[in-house]
Amino acid sequence: MSFSFLPNAVLVLCLGSLVQLAAISWRRHVARDAILCVIVLVAALASIMLPTALIMNGALPLFAPDTWASFAGALIILSVLAIVLMSRHGAISADPTVNSEYFLLLTLATLGGVAMTGAVHFISFFLGLETLSLSLLGLIAFQNKRLDAGEAAMKYLLLSGVASATMVFGFALIYAETGSLRFGAPDLSQAPEPIIGTMGVILVLTGMFFKLSAVPFHLWLADVLEGTSVPVAALVAVTSKIALFAAMLRYFSSVNLYLPSAQVNEILIVAVLSMLGGNLMAVVQTDLRRLLAGSSIAHVGYLLVAFLSPGPFGVASAAFYLAAYAISTIGVFAIMNGVLPQGTDIREWHGLFRRKPAAALAMSVMLISLAGIPPAVGFFAKFYIVAAGVSAHQTLLLFVLILSSTIGLFYYLRLILIMLTPAPAGRETHAEVTAPTPVNAALIAVLACATILLGICPSTLVQRSQGLVVAPPLPAAPAKLP
Amino acid sequence: MMMFALPALVLIPFIGGLAAWLVGLRGASRAAWVSSLITLVLMVVLLAQITISSFAAGAGAGGWFAHFSMAWVPMLGINVRFDLDGLSLVMLWLNALIALPCALLSARNVADRAGLFHCLLLATVAGINGVFMATDLFLFFFFWELMLLPLFGLILIWGDAGRQRAVLKFFLFTQGSGLLMLLAILGLVIVNAQRTGVITFDYFALSQTAMIAPIAPVLMLGFFIAFAVKLPMVPFHAWLPDTYAASPAAVSILLSGVLAKTGGYGLIRFVVMLFPGPAAHLAPIAMTLGVVGILYCAWLAVAQDDIKRLIAYSSISHLGFILLGVFSGTRIGMEGAIAQMVAHGLSTGALFVIAGLLEERLGTRDMSKMGGLWPAMPQFSALAMFFAAASLGLPGLGNFVGEFLVLMGTWQVSHVMTFFAAAGLVLSSVYSLTMMLRVFYGPKKTESLAPLGAPSVPHIAVLGVAALLLLALGVYPQPVLNLSVPASPHVVSIAQEQAQ
Repeated sequence: MSFSFLPNAVLVLCLGSLVQLAAISWRRHVARDAILCVIVLVAALASIMLPTALIMNGALPLFAPDTWASFAGALIILSVLAIVLMSRHGAISADPTVNSEYFLLLTLATLGGVAMTGAVHFISFFLGLETLSLSLLGLIAFQNKRLDAGEAAMKYLLLSGVASATMVFGFALIYAETGSLRFGAPDLSQAPEPIIGTMGVILVLTGMFFKLSAVPFHLWLADVLEGTSVPVAALVAVTSKIALFAAMLRYFSSVNLYLPSAQVNEILIVAVLSMLGGNLMAVVQTDLRRLLAGSSIAHVGYLLVAFLSPGPFGVASAAFYLAAYAISTIGVFAIMNGVLPQGTDIREWHGLFRRKPAAALAMSVMLISLAGIPPAVGFFAKFYIVAAGVSAHQTLLLFVLILSSTIGLFYYLRLILIMLTPAPAGRETHAEVTAPTPVNAALIAVLACATILLGICPSTLVQRSQGLVVAPPLPAAPAKLP
Repeated sequence: MMMFALPALVLIPFIGGLAAWLVGLRGASRAAWVSSLITLVLMVVLLAQITISSFAAGAGAGGWFAHFSMAWVPMLGINVRFDLDGLSLVMLWLNALIALPCALLSARNVADRAGLFHCLLLATVAGINGVFMATDLFLFFFFWELMLLPLFGLILIWGDAGRQRAVLKFFLFTQGSGLLMLLAILGLVIVNAQRTGVITFDYFALSQTAMIAPIAPVLMLGFFIAFAVKLPMVPFHAWLPDTYAASPAAVSILLSGVLAKTGGYGLIRFVVMLFPGPAAHLAPIAMTLGVVGILYCAWLAVAQDDIKRLIAYSSISHLGFILLGVFSGTRIGMEGAIAQMVAHGLSTGALFVIAGLLEERLGTRDMSKMGGLWPAMPQFSALAMFFAAASLGLPGLGNFVGEFLVLMGTWQVSHVMTFFAAAGLVLSSVYSLTMMLRVFYGPKKTESLAPLGAPSVPHIAVLGVAALLLLALGVYPQPVLNLSVPASPHVVSIAQEQAQ
């Protein structure tokens, strides 16, 4: 007997996006649509807390209603909520011809991400992934009057398409080998042709790394972040990565990652390359968004360390790190959006402590958190990941982590240093410092407080993340295709 | 009351710092300065109270005076745990004694954003206090990293030319080595968890595992490198001269006076006491590096023109004695190392006060442009002579006691090393006396240096008090030596009972 669950949040987000569509087709009104989007997201967040309503007997298992899915789903919804709050009154919602769709696409992206976190079947995962990717594509290209937005969207479209195709090819190979479409790395010990199955797993992994923008599949990220608007850049850098990482953790939850195998080796190499490559890439950047792209790649590498350290700490530290990363990165983007929306060149940030002390202080808090210095939450997150790595004896990964964090310190601190020092003579900045909207200012304040408070009192979040269970996809009999 | 005294030592400077910042926001730099001073005086009063009640109660098991424990992240066995022994007490006093003049003397130098300056200064002091008391390894690491951040701001905002490079170097060195220590801490915790089934960061509980774990040498190395960078020991000293030279005067005093001693304190508390066996194996290497540091940096100091750099190199050279004493494995060497920490904190701190005043009055730190200052400021020059003599190890002053005891301890282990380390003292006479000669004697180099004016009363007072303390330490060091014996970690049951 198999059960199928439909997570509440997926249901709420589906219905919510329909409501938003209906509202837009009735009459365009951007403020109403933004509020509607917030309501849908809040309702989805609330529904995650409730027990699953829709359980069907004997149907194909598509979603696993476990605590990991709830945690990652809640994180995704919260991050999108923050992005909605920061993009209200931005350049995007000022364009009256398309602004309402912006919020619709945000809801759809959330839907895709939340579906991915709980997926235990290839089809539900793939539908989630494509919903997320296609909404992201629309969002990246949103400022259709800007040339580089189109370029970024094109790049994303091509590479995302290649990644999806790679992944689907991997699914096909795995299906050919095992006859199963369940979303989980197959057990190939009994397989007649293990090489085909292994190839399939590697292709799936490669596709995931493309979307996660891990080195060496990272080249699109910097261009996309640079080309698109700030809130969407936050969405690409945070939300889609949470969704992908959550799904990837579930995919490998039934595999013993201690045993060396082709996929473990691939993840190991990618983790090392991402940590070093991301940080080295960020060091040489002069554009803040490209710098954050490098930082984001490096953080994916750190997350992979937790990923490769199964055991009591592995999942918990990954969950904690995801939360810490999301808070701080969204914080950085929110400050960028609120204070210096045009100032993507880091030289424009010279003397921000004089011009906007509160924003500069909040920015420093976020950067300290990303760098992993106490008392910010990033410190505890990094500590937790190192604890996981030590308990799993990942010596090589830990040394690379330490080396690359030290490189990382350099560029985070250099940014603080730039904000503290006035611009050199003759190189005065031309970007105007704007006052953030009240909503954005409140968002920044909340995120900065969360960064510090969670850093000083991490026990609530630790408790939450320690209780997380990743249910492996049911090893049931090969699912029959309808 | 005693229960909360230890966390109060950390909280008072933090809160006082915030108060100073808030007061400073209104624009009056004087007010921030006053509130900073009040905070530090409060801290000293509290410390005195702790000292008195500690003496009244007497040392508990293994030499621990006071305890504080509170759950922090219970799921991971992390507690807010402070314990106080004689060594901590001496170090806390040193911190208080150095912090007070830092705040006192910065009234004039720091007019710009004084509130922020005092806030960061007090936050550093609070972090250092935490380092000297924490006996939960996570908490220790937390404070260890936390004290760097305000220093970063202090040097960056109020520092001299070249500060951006210096501060990044300082931060990367110390933070990178700190991460190695984090690895070692976690390694120890995990090994302990595998042995006992309990995840804990408690110093006392972990000391059992540290004794017997097969990978103890590797773990110890992680701690050792972090402390050796902070001290600094010779191959890791590259950050120090630049940082000291680029720091504002008050921060140079704090860095050389106390911050370097956190490295020495860590070596005693977390390397020698926690891993006695592996530390004994490491001792020949550590002592050799100590001797190399003494000679090499003394040699470099002789060649400096910049007075702050000269003091910085001399500081590394003297810190070599701490390394030598701590790793000599003898009780007398350890006593000498601790006496040297206190005496070096006072004398180098005082030398940086002098350098700061000279820089303020003359507008330069280049000794080739100074000269003939004695007639212009006789009192001040006499005090400078006193501290130069202390630094070169004149008998009767604190540094002599420290260095002599260290050399006696080393003699029992290795005659060759004693010989070379003692040769370092000759070099230290060379650079100390050369410095005196170039700055205070001889003809005046330039006429523009004429209007010097008398040093302010606070300067003379601070230097006078430091001189008296050094003299007391030199003449009658026994109370400090008796008090500062580090307490053993192997008192698990008793210490835990008392904490509860």
